[in-house]
Amino acid sequence: MAISESDVRHVALLARLALTDGQVSSLQTELNSILGHIDELQGLDLADVQPTAHALEVTNSMRPDVVKPCLSRELALRNAPEAEGGAFVIPAMAGAGEDV
Amino acid sequence: MAKDRLSEVLERYEAVIGLEIHTELTSLKSKMFCGCPVEFGGEPNTRVCPVCLGLPGALPVPNEAAVEATVLAGLAVNCDIALWSQFHRKQYFYPDMPKDYQISQYDLPFCSGGHLDVEVDGDAVFQRVDRDSEEEYTARIGITRIHLEEDTGKMIHVGGAEGRISGAEKSLVDFNRAGTPLMELVSEPDIRTPEEARRFAQKLRLIMLTLGVSDCSMEEGSMRVDGNISIRLRGEIELGTKSEIKNMNSFKALHDALAYEIVRQADLMDVGERVVQETRHWDVGAKRTSMLRSKEEAHDYRYFPEPDMVPFAFTEEWVESIAQRVPELPDAKRERFMGTWDLPKYDAVVLTSDLAMAGFFEAAVAQTGPARAKSVANTMINDFSAHLNAEGIGVDESPVKPSMLAELVVLVDDGTISGKQAKEVFSAMVKTGEAPAVIVEARNMRQVSDTSAIEAVVDAIIAANPDEVASYRGGKIGLVGWFVGQVMREMRGQGNPKVVNEVLRRKLG
Ligand SMILES: [Zn+2]
Repeated sequence: MAISESDVRHVALLARLALTDGQVSSLQTELNSILGHIDELQGLDLADVQPTAHALEVTNSMRPDVVKPCLSRELALRNAPEAEGGAFVIPAMAGAGEDV
Repeated sequence: MAKDRLSEVLERYEAVIGLEIHTELTSLKSKMFCGCPVEFGGEPNTRVCPVCLGLPGALPVPNEAAVEATVLAGLAVNCDIALWSQFHRKQYFYPDMPKDYQISQYDLPFCSGGHLDVEVDGDAVFQRVDRDSEEEYTARIGITRIHLEEDTGKMIHVGGAEGRISGAEKSLVDFNRAGTPLMELVSEPDIRTPEEARRFAQKLRLIMLTLGVSDCSMEEGSMRVDGNISIRLRGEIELGTKSEIKNMNSFKALHDALAYEIVRQADLMDVGERVVQETRHWDVGAKRTSMLRSKEEAHDYRYFPEPDMVPFAFTEEWVESIAQRVPELPDAKRERFMGTWDLPKYDAVVLTSDLAMAGFFEAAVAQTGPARAKSVANTMINDFSAHLNAEGIGVDESPVKPSMLAELVVLVDDGTISGKQAKEVFSAMVKTGEAPAVIVEARNMRQVSDTSAIEAVVDAIIAANPDEVASYRGGKIGLVGWFVGQVMREMRGQGNPKVVNEVLRRKLG
């Protein structure tokens, strides 16, 4: 399962990454080598193995509905490049993805 | 929009509608994956922590009560509960989502394959032109799934028109709402008319309120309804191109936006144009939808299993234990109201379509006894509802309490006051909050039912009006009304009309 150049560009767009042509080409090589490991797995006989997203044999890890202390607003906003009236400030966004 | 235009379009086209309904689990104390409190409003960013701010390294842990509430909701709408389920990451970039992904569910939601039966009556039955009948009907609407996810933060766009993002100089983000447990229900595209959509959403809301999982406020956004809608020529099997409608934040908006969209799509198709797949925004002021984004900009969410959380393995026994917690649902309550107190369907529907109304009725009937249930229902549906509407208040905000309404019904029923006097007492009760008996006493309204007292007045009236008595006896029996009026005037309206009538007919006859 090879990753094409256009796959790399599509994923970069989704991840909002601006890649140079050189980066696209090197990432294509790197991603293909990572996915090469998957090809090795696909060579194994896994007919009796259940698909899983987790290595742990743990289920139902939950917490009770109990309120815990929050961060102070000062602390919450400390790393924000800009804050106003207790809110995080986001610069103007152009075009796509408008939700109201 | 004119009803005529919609009916004309519906004669030729059939609408295919599916709804997506988001419900915040506002009755929980804490958020979905962290211990920040669930509340509405407040100063920005005062209910946030590393988890709901998406700070690196923070680990989400699911709220057990939110999982239970979702399963409870699924059971209430006839869903199957998955014995194996998990959370997924849904990737998208928007500043109201600090992690750049939303923790949601994908192919393994908690609930799937349910349905709701929706009753449609009244004027809106006409929208189903294929039914060929004006009778009320029941439509079964499938429910594809219900899954659990986290709500986003809120943004305020500064400098643009109407607080919208286009033209805005900047946006302010408040993450107080981020991470609020959010249940998403997706219906099958089984809905055929705007009215069915409205009834479906109303019924779902009543069920959620009955379950006590959410306050379901469409104004505050704790219940949000989006619709997918396409139309096809009647008889056609293939589906048309659909649009997705957002921002329908009242039941009326839901109905009107879908009705508008049916006509808009028909207008395009009538002149041979194509409907474009896009997301549209309902503008409640302008009463129209406008394009928000086209399909080309549609998201590629790249779902993958949430690695920070382990899957859920439920047992049949556990699901059964949640099923035991499903309370009496609206349909069952309506049937019980009809069965227990012999109420007409209309009364039962009105009383059970509001939880507080139903609770009020039951409390009042507990006091009057079941024989007076119909009288309680009448007083509630007429005087009490009119009073609530006039004041624009809810049942719990009224100065009239169940015990007061019950007392009033008993006073009329045992003949202490007349029905006409009851109206006056009711008005006084609304103004003063005083008990009916106190009002009756203070205004000296006690109705006279004592036969001998009434007989004395009747005798006097008969003696004073020999001509009228003669006419009556000569066949003008309609004069009895005039005699009643004379007696009542003499008694300052306090004579029991039933007794006055009886005595008059006996003495005159
Ligand atoms: Zn938090």
